[in-house]
Order: sequence, then structure tokens, then C-alpha cells
Amino acid sequence: MASLAQRLAPRSEGADIAIGPKNRVAQAPVTIGGTAGSDIIALCISDPISFVKTLIHLDGSVAQLVLLSHALPSETVSVLLEDAGCTQLVTDRTDLVTPLEQCTPEAAIAATVPADGATKWTLTTSGTTGLPKLIPHTLNSLTRTVARGNPSTPPRWGLLYDPTRFAGLQVVLQALIGGGVLLTPDTHAPLADQIAMLKAQGCTHLSATPTLWRRLLMAPGFSDLSLKQITLGGEIVDQQVLDTLAAAHPCARITHIYASTEAGVGFAVTDGQAGFPTHFLQESANIGMKIVDEVLWLRPPLGAQRSLDGTEVETDSEGFIRSGDRIQLKDGRAHFLGRDNGTINVGGVKIHPEMVEQTIMAIAGVKLAKISAKKNPISGALVVAEVMADDDIDTKALKFAIQAHCKATLEREAVPAIIRFVDTLTLNAAGKLIRTDDAK
Amino acid sequence: MDTLDTKIRAVFADVWQGQNETDAPALADSDILLETGLDSLGFAIFVSQLEEELGYDPFTLSNDAYYPQTYGEFVAFYAKHKPS
Repeated sequence: MASLAQRLAPRSEGADIAIGPKNRVAQAPVTIGGTAGSDIIALCISDPISFVKTLIHLDGSVAQLVLLSHALPSETVSVLLEDAGCTQLVTDRTDLVTPLEQCTPEAAIAATVPADGATKWTLTTSGTTGLPKLIPHTLNSLTRTVARGNPSTPPRWGLLYDPTRFAGLQVVLQALIGGGVLLTPDTHAPLADQIAMLKAQGCTHLSATPTLWRRLLMAPGFSDLSLKQITLGGEIVDQQVLDTLAAAHPCARITHIYASTEAGVGFAVTDGQAGFPTHFLQESANIGMKIVDEVLWLRPPLGAQRSLDGTEVETDSEGFIRSGDRIQLKDGRAHFLGRDNGTINVGGVKIHPEMVEQTIMAIAGVKLAKISAKKNPISGALVVAEVMADDDIDTKALKFAIQAHCKATLEREAVPAIIRFVDTLTLNAAGKLIRTDDAK
Repeated sequence: MDTLDTKIRAVFADVWQGQNETDAPALADSDILLETGLDSLGFAIFVSQLEEELGYDPFTLSNDAYYPQTYGEFVAFYAKHKPS
């Protein structure tokens, strides 16, 4: 199996592969030498260019790479290092305490012998609460959709995400393997400054969630970029964001990507319309698709594969995998409505309603709580709580207590944006809350 | 007094304080919304709270391919799409 270094698109000697905010340049790899092939190496690197260089040099030379976000708290990093069975930590952070041997990215690169072994890659989920889950990947599974571009006009990809996360890593790999240049603005800087850096470096390709695209559309200077490719993914895409992007960048190709973590596959839509055309359901050249009881089922091209997030998947006798994504068919178009398990996607962060309900019901004075989604033009959806309170309780004080407790125990996206007090909540025959939402 | 502007400022101050736990800054019409200190989530909450307060969401009502950049544009957007 070819390593990342071997799969890098050909480019001239010493050519740039990545450019940082201060014009620091990572050059195409040079020969280096010496790490054993059975190591499980964790990377927790805050500088994206160091991260990319380290990935290129270590892939193929070590048994496994565990990619940890530099933004994770040090205690979380410690737990994940143990859970993943890591043998060594490569980091540019100084606050991580671990019994493992630690070294800097530069030292790791200097100590690595290039090889073409099969390195496993492990990513983490961006989970709503608690410890992120470890998700196994390979370079091949991560690069299924990566395409080689036209070498005469190499794409210049802007990286607006943490490169250790799935969405950010896709941009990194697309830029590296697709023969492009990766531009890495300082993502802690104001968005207008990031846009100015991308413009100065000639950014032509950007990928983001609809929530981030809306934010870009509200930022000064965005329409001054000369974008040729606009890619949206990670959330349901609405018509307004597509239309506004098309108006701001009339020459750009606009692609929205649907990816099913359950089926481990996805597809792209490029006609500028939200949802996807229903003729996708009849064409089976690539992946099979069908809708059963308003839920999309997918059949991967090579038969059933494992779930991307390690959970059990429901498969039928024809090899279709239940995606869990609810679909509405209208006027020759299939539109995504949300998840059938009630999971709420707030700006790309998945929230499990039950967890928020349990958090609220642990507060004195709350009888019952129900969480639902409220459609939102900026973040796709927000979390709404309906609360049945004890009789004669001061609801203003209780609302404050709910907000304070949720803020202290949940991720920001999971904290209810709206809290309503209700007299009753409907239970079904099994005594469970009946969920409805308006995030349609 | 522009009551729409006043209501929007009041909701902004409330959401800003909820997100940042300090007093909200004064807003000038030319201020860039993204530089007021609210991130995407804060801004999403701001728009939802405005819908609760004003009873409409111009982003949903509008067919314009447009997102306001400054506070002044934001208030004008709400005024333009206020249901009659």
C-alpha cells in the first residue's frame, strides 16, 4: 500500500506543499531516518504545518498514527493515549503529562526511516459530551473521494478546520494528493484576517460547513477571494446558502457533499440546488440508494462496509445500509430533514437529546424535560428544552439554574438556546417522550 | 425612537451577556457583526431569540441571496422583512 509520501502529487524539487500565516513554508519531504514499525504514535500538534509534515514523514513507517486535536484538554489527551495504546507522543504542546516518551514534530521526523508499510490512522469524534471516540481509518478510507487535479493550475486549498478532524483532514489530503497547495491561516484570528491571508496567498478552493459558509458570507472581504471551488458538507445544506454563495462567487463550482457515517459512503451534488435529484435513486453505477419509510438506505460499491463511527449498522438482505437520514421527496428532489433518532446537528456538532434531557432532569424542581430541534438560519438547528416544573416553583430561578447547570456540564452547542415551561409533555404507550421537531 | 433597533439591541445585550458573562459592547451601525464578540453559535442564538421577541425570522422569510455584514445592515434587513 502506498504511503502518503508516495501518493503526494508530483511537484518540482523543494516546491511548497503548505503555507502558514507568517509565510512559513513546508517543503516537499526530504529523506530522513529511524523509527520501528510497531509503534503507535499519537500526534497532538498545534502548528498545522508541523502536523502535515509529520503525517507525511511517519505514514508508512509506523504501525498506527493516532491524530488528537491540539485543542483537547490535557486530561482528555492522557485518557485517549492510554485507550489507544499509544507508545509515543509527538507534540509541540508543553502542558501534556504522560508516562510515554514525548518528542517534538521535528525530532520525530528526524528519527523516522521512510517506509511503505500499512499505517493505520485513528481519528477522534468531535462528540457532544464526554470522551471523544477513537475511529479507525486507513489512508485509503480517508482518500476515497480525493481526485488528482489539473497539474497546470494546482488548487490552493484554504484550511479552515482543525486538520486532525475528519473535515479538516479531507482538505489536507485533497491538497496534498490532489497536487495542490495547502494554505493554513491562523484559525484563532478574526475571520476577516483569515480571509485576507487566504486572498494574499491566492486561495482558490475552500471547504466548510454551511454554518461556517454563512459566517464567511457575513465577513468583510469574502467576495474578494477568487474561488474556483466551494465545497459544503457536514450539515444539511439549504437553498439560501447555495444561492448566496453563487451570487458572491459566480465563477466557482459549488459542490455539496453528503456523507453517511453509517454506510461509510457519500456522494456529491453540483447543480446548485439543495437536496439531491431523485434520479440518483435509480442510477446504480456508483452506490445504490433507496428510500424506505422516508429514510435513506445506501449500498456501498464494494458491499457492506463498517460504520465510520464504530456503531452497529442495520443492513438489509440486498446489502443496503440504513443511513438514519430522513428524506422528503418533492418535485423531483430529495431533501434531507434530519436524523430519525432525533440527533440534532447544531453547526456540525451532533447533540443527543436524551443526554440533555437527563442533565436537566437531574435539577431539583424539574419533573420532566423534552429536547427538540428548532430550525435556525445560521447554525442549521438549535436545541430547545420544554420543561415541566414542580408546582409553585419560581420558574425564573429554575430557568437560571437549568442554564447554569447545562453550561457547566454540557458542550456549548448542547445547552438549550430556548427554555420553555409547559404544563404537560406527551408520553407514548411505552412511557417515552414523543419527539417532534421543527428542524425541517 | 426606532423601536425595532431598540428591541434588537436589547436582545443582543441579553444574548451577549449570556454567552460572554460580561456587559455587551455598544453597537454602531458600521460595526461588523462578526467582530462584536458573538461566534456562530452566539449569533444563531441571537437570531432565534429575536424570532421569539419579534415573532418573525427574516432569514427564513427572505428570498434574497444575502447575509448582512454590519449591525446597520442587520437592522435594515429585519425592517425590510417585517411582516405587515
